[in-house]
Amino acid sequence: MQFYRKNSRAVNKALSILSGLVLWHFLATVIVADTAFLVSPLAVLAKGYEMLFVTGELYPHILASSGIFLYGYLLSIVVGVPLGFLMAFSPAVRDYAHPWMTTLYTTPRIAFAPVLLLWLGIGAGSKVAIVFLGCVFPILINSYYGMRVVNREFVELARSLRLGRLAVFWKILLPASVPFILAGLRLALGRGLTGVAIAEWFGATAGLGYLVYFAGQTLNVPVLFVGVTVFGLMGILGFEILRKIEVLATPWRSSHSG
Amino acid sequence: MAAAILELRNLSREVKGRSGEPFVIFRDIDLTVRDGEFLSIVGPSGCGKTTMLRVINGLVPPSDGQIFVDGKEQKGADGELVMGFVFQGAALLPWRTSLSNVLLGLEGRGKSAAESRELARKYLDLVGLAGFEQHYPHELSGGMQQRVNLARALAIEPKILLMDEPFAALDAQTRSFMQLELLRIWSQTRKTVIFVTHMISEAILLSDRVVVFSHRPGRIKADFPVPLARPRDMDVKSDRRFIDLENTVWKLIEEEVKAAGGFAKL
Repeated sequence: MQFYRKNSRAVNKALSILSGLVLWHFLATVIVADTAFLVSPLAVLAKGYEMLFVTGELYPHILASSGIFLYGYLLSIVVGVPLGFLMAFSPAVRDYAHPWMTTLYTTPRIAFAPVLLLWLGIGAGSKVAIVFLGCVFPILINSYYGMRVVNREFVELARSLRLGRLAVFWKILLPASVPFILAGLRLALGRGLTGVAIAEWFGATAGLGYLVYFAGQTLNVPVLFVGVTVFGLMGILGFEILRKIEVLATPWRSSHSG
Repeated sequence: MAAAILELRNLSREVKGRSGEPFVIFRDIDLTVRDGEFLSIVGPSGCGKTTMLRVINGLVPPSDGQIFVDGKEQKGADGELVMGFVFQGAALLPWRTSLSNVLLGLEGRGKSAAESRELARKYLDLVGLAGFEQHYPHELSGGMQQRVNLARALAIEPKILLMDEPFAALDAQTRSFMQLELLRIWSQTRKTVIFVTHMISEAILLSDRVVVFSHRPGRIKADFPVPLARPRDMDVKSDRRFIDLENTVWKLIEEEVKAAGGFAKL
């Protein structure tokens, strides 16, 4: 009981994962009982072990997908954050950007994929572009709102202390918007991974999206699940990294969810 | 008698109302504050006293009139830093520690980092927060946050301290302690203070002079010297002159409220 009280959140998380896996195993072996549709997590684990440590065939896929994801994600930060700030500061930029932003944000990305392939070819360029399209808008929109919703009292404080424009940006607006930007990065994470999967369905020869697609076409259910699982693990890893960054970047917040 | 440090001439502020008609917040304020004077402004809710403080600090522009500090006209928020503002909500930056919040007004003003830190520490000590330099605002009580707020305004060593209902959000007990603390701090700094409050006893306890505002549009309705010797403590509240002045001011405010249509209209 003492142990549970101290580590209740970690224990709850572990129990949640464990019961999910048990339920999955039960579903696969007792209810469905057909390996052409669903395999037990143990079979996925075995297949994953084999692909990682026996044949090693999983590595190139992981590397290809991670590369595309990181390029697209980082490009989104480099473009999205400053553009969001610019929109917050300049009504003209806001007016020009707004219709394009709304259109591009709400159009399903999968509809863009063939177009981008046509324009950028089947190399990394088109895939990074698809990831970028997924990630950039949540980052941009959150950066924009982070700047816009800064406490009015802080702006008055800055005026009262006669801070210059640069000081206002660096000392008030930027730190105030950090939690918003981090929230945008979280949203972008899931959308970015979706982008990787979509991108690799079209004309790829490596990558987890390609692996899943190919396994689906050939009814290779264990490999299919290995691919999906690795996508999931990448998401979890990304979230954890962002959480660490959040704790480091905002030590002044009383609690960090996660 | 000390020289005038702040002069308001014919100061007015009006904004556009909902249907475009002018809406006067306060009008034709003429006020002279002497160097080292502690002056309070009281008045019914919504009489424009807080807005006047913000106009004096250049946070919002006046629609008419002039503000002089030491005979020099003040123009908006681009002027030099001669006034410290103590906000009603503490307005502390949550990502900065107490010390760092106090440093905000000192950074980039030609002082060395060591000099600025020393100054910030000195004022945190003065407001009774020695040992809390590295605490973040969320780790401090409401009263302590207001102390940091005060230290930040004092640290820039302004000619005038503007205080906008700084104790309004505190519980009654903390508020009384903070009043006594402010008496102590003021006796050690002798700053010129303009203190806005709606609590008459607070105004009398702290001030050399109490100015009563009328209901909107705010005008100066009365101006009383406080005939109580310093140093003061809570005992002056039972002094006959304290009670008389409190009653006089209360009647004036009651009159204003009735003229404006009663308490329900506040």
